[in-house]
Amino acid sequence: MSSNTIVIGVIGADVHAVGNKILDYAFTQAGFKVVNIGVLASQEEFVKAAVETGAVAILVSSLYGHGEIDCRGLRDKCEEAGIGDILLYVGGNLVVGKKEWEPVKKTFLNMGFDRAYPPGTAPETSIEDLKNDLSQGE
Amino acid sequence: MEVVNKKWPIEKLFAQREEILKTWETGNEVADIKKGIEYQKSIPKAKNFAKKLKEAKENKVTLVQPRAGVALVNEHIALLQFLQDEGGADLLPSTIDSYTRQNRYAEAQKGIEESVSSGRSLLNGFPAVNHGLENCRKVVESLKSPVQVRHGTPDARLLAEIALAAGFTDYEGGGISYNIPYAKDVSLEKTIYYWQYVDRLVGYYQENGVEINREPFGPLTGTLVPPSISHSVAILEAILAAEQGVMNLTLGYGQCGNLIQDVAAIQTLEELAEEYLVNNGHENRQLTTVFHQWMGGFPQDEAKAFGVISWGASAAALAKATKVIVKTPHEAMGIPTKEANAQGLRTTKQIINMLKDQTLPESKQLLLEKEMIKKETRAILDATYKIGEGDWAKGAIRAFESGIIDIPFAPSRFNAGRILPARDNDGAIRLLDSGDLPLTKEIQDFHNEKIAIRGKAEDRDPSFQMVIDDIYAIGKGFLVGRPS
Repeated sequence: MSSNTIVIGVIGADVHAVGNKILDYAFTQAGFKVVNIGVLASQEEFVKAAVETGAVAILVSSLYGHGEIDCRGLRDKCEEAGIGDILLYVGGNLVVGKKEWEPVKKTFLNMGFDRAYPPGTAPETSIEDLKNDLSQGE
Repeated sequence: MEVVNKKWPIEKLFAQREEILKTWETGNEVADIKKGIEYQKSIPKAKNFAKKLKEAKENKVTLVQPRAGVALVNEHIALLQFLQDEGGADLLPSTIDSYTRQNRYAEAQKGIEESVSSGRSLLNGFPAVNHGLENCRKVVESLKSPVQVRHGTPDARLLAEIALAAGFTDYEGGGISYNIPYAKDVSLEKTIYYWQYVDRLVGYYQENGVEINREPFGPLTGTLVPPSISHSVAILEAILAAEQGVMNLTLGYGQCGNLIQDVAAIQTLEELAEEYLVNNGHENRQLTTVFHQWMGGFPQDEAKAFGVISWGASAAALAKATKVIVKTPHEAMGIPTKEANAQGLRTTKQIINMLKDQTLPESKQLLLEKEMIKKETRAILDATYKIGEGDWAKGAIRAFESGIIDIPFAPSRFNAGRILPARDNDGAIRLLDSGDLPLTKEIQDFHNEKIAIRGKAEDRDPSFQMVIDDIYAIGKGFLVGRPS
């Protein structure tokens, strides 16, 4: 039986806290054990929290447009820390400006994320995806 | 460190600025403060923020101002010129990028370099510190209207030094409003101290004949903030700034969405601030107001977004705010194109012009709303003063520790986070849980009753789910988050 612990947080120099608090609430309600490292979180903090808690997924939020710079290399850091197989999700306003979603998604999947979500995605969508991804992994 | 609300001797500022100017290489460009003052004096009156606001207040017009900033200087100038010429902006901003806001100038530098090589802005604002004095002056000189620095920086001392020397005539922020909603781990002792530096610097320019306007950030987290909370913070920051010699203040408020509450909020903000400033020995301050169009989540559909923008424009005009900060049809998607930004401005201006001769007539509801906002704000501020043993700076720090002031949905661990706001059945923002706010039974009962009416109408017990529904409601096309 794998754990149901997930790490959530807002990456980089981003301070958007509202969605983070809602995700915390929604994933907890959905039965996950949520380790919330809050806003202004570095890649190192995400990885450290995942290693320490034996998390099965890291959910990265980015609302302020610097997502591309902030997220690059996160998969490598996971591999270095021995958790290379962990699920990585990212969502929010990931790039500066209004951009077509598909190329943005591709950028983040190429970076090593398993899933990427456009602005305005409801928590239920990623909860369902995570449940599916976890059951397939077993 | 104990921070007290007492005007700094100028030697204290001068001693500190030597250290501050060393924190990034562009700091030495502004070492001679006299040159900054001289430069400011050469700026024509029409490009001074405080003067333009004064004129607007006298003429009872509401000015429009966008948010905008990109990584590179020429592109930033082109953006602002576009908003001035095509958008009809009366006042201009330079919104600062998020790395600079956290004093991460090396990362901002990387963002500048990647923006040059990729041909698009990888930063969400203008990194003024990295660009330095001459580049910032180039921005100010390329525009016809006054320019303000807008940001979200807990420690904005170096940015302030560069901005003032470069000819920006307005500076947003404050020790509370740029900490609690914008930081996680920075104490209020520190940020109030950092902002005393900024206010003392502005005060020094003032003493040397330069009018600089200061604007505490009104909307805070922008998420269902009750007017009494944002008023308390705005008035506290006004008192702290005035003590350091700031003469021109614009106090802000973020739209709630219920017209009566919004108009009552802008009116009481000015009335209460005047009262508290005068009672604390700060007379003859120029007080103006800023109304922020809806700061929460927006609809993705641009047509619907224009609806939200228009409703904010209407409330700002009817409340007679001195200026309105404008949203764009791209709000749900992140940072807007310049065209979308100009559209938001033109939409707003059309409504402002149409409503300039109208006011919201006095009614029983408006008077009650104003009375309740005043009672609540006074309860919070008076408890703050008391717990500070007569010192507003100590009071502010202790009030946050004890939950006397509590900002909903703030990221800072120095905020209690015990209150829970929700809309009432008319869409006004009330307290579902008032945490440790020092409210009288009369005020508590008022909130409880209002929330109970909504719960009954929706046939559900008010809970955190109701709050979440309210947060998403406007994005989904409604003001009140009713169950489907």
